[in-house]
Amino acid sequence: MPCPYLEYRDTSADQSFDEARAFCTVVEEFVQPMRADICNDRYALDHESHCEIYRAHAEGEE
Amino acid sequence: MSYEAFLDGDPVIVTAALTGGVHGKEANPNVPETPEEIGRAAGEVEAAGASVVHLHARRPNGERSFDTERFQEIDDAVRRHTDDVVIQHSTGGTGAPDADRHRPLRTDPPPEMASLDMGPLNRYDHLTSENTRGLVDSLHAEMVDRGIKPELEVFNDGHRNEVHGLLARRDLADPVYATLIFGPGTLTRPRPEHFLTAIADLPDGATFNTLGFGRHQLPFATMGILFGGHVRVGLEDNVYYERGELAESNAQLVERVVRVAEELGRPVATTDEAREILGL
Repeated sequence: MPCPYLEYRDTSADQSFDEARAFCTVVEEFVQPMRADICNDRYALDHESHCEIYRAHAEGEE
Repeated sequence: MSYEAFLDGDPVIVTAALTGGVHGKEANPNVPETPEEIGRAAGEVEAAGASVVHLHARRPNGERSFDTERFQEIDDAVRRHTDDVVIQHSTGGTGAPDADRHRPLRTDPPPEMASLDMGPLNRYDHLTSENTRGLVDSLHAEMVDRGIKPELEVFNDGHRNEVHGLLARRDLADPVYATLIFGPGTLTRPRPEHFLTAIADLPDGATFNTLGFGRHQLPFATMGILFGGHVRVGLEDNVYYERGELAESNAQLVERVVRVAEELGRPVATTDEAREILGL
């Protein structure tokens, strides 16, 4: 299941794109395409294990 | 490859890494992502002096793709926009299944070259791109079957052991062509003394390409030119032209390194010369 903090947007405060791109609502930034694979749990990737942003945010909420 | 090659004024091959798979337009809006954008960029860098284009594939939203069909679309666009540039596909793919790593090799025709990552490297804080010896060997075997020249990507000093090990395990066609990579994290620390050690430690007769990430791109390309190697530049590896100033295009980065090479007395290799040097 994709990261709950992943959204697809085509604009942010300072960037806009023709195609909606992966946006992290924790850091409020578009993410790198390779990181988007982690956000989406594609291949062998898993946001709970591989994303330091998710892990730090989850630890902060505990 | 050595300082003698510089003194002799041997041609230098310029490879342009046009797009990559790590960052995209969120880092620099000038990074080409669609097949048409990549094709146009290939035409521009060929006109600027690049003889090899290093290619990754992306989905329409910039995310990574390993699909043969997507590489085919890109190759078709590159061929529409170029005369006879050498096409080199990436087989890199952090976290992707081994089977997907083979898919860039299966276009029609196959790429003339493809990258072969020589071992593991860390990504972010909790992820490693494994690049096991088993995967290296299976990718190399398919490259041999398809007549594809491997470009050995040497991300750090330990990977040079892997180059020597690969040569002991498998029959690599001459010349061995290795890209020496310098930068942060798992990469070889970007210091001139490490560059000199790396080029001295390559197998006899090997030809090397020089890749510095980020702000190390220009100084390491210059060292590559001075010490008889070849160079790789492009937005995959560096999105800036100068500190704080985003690059306008891949061609802008190629034009600069071509000026450096010519000023230092090494002409830029034509595509025919590049094929001869690389044994394609």
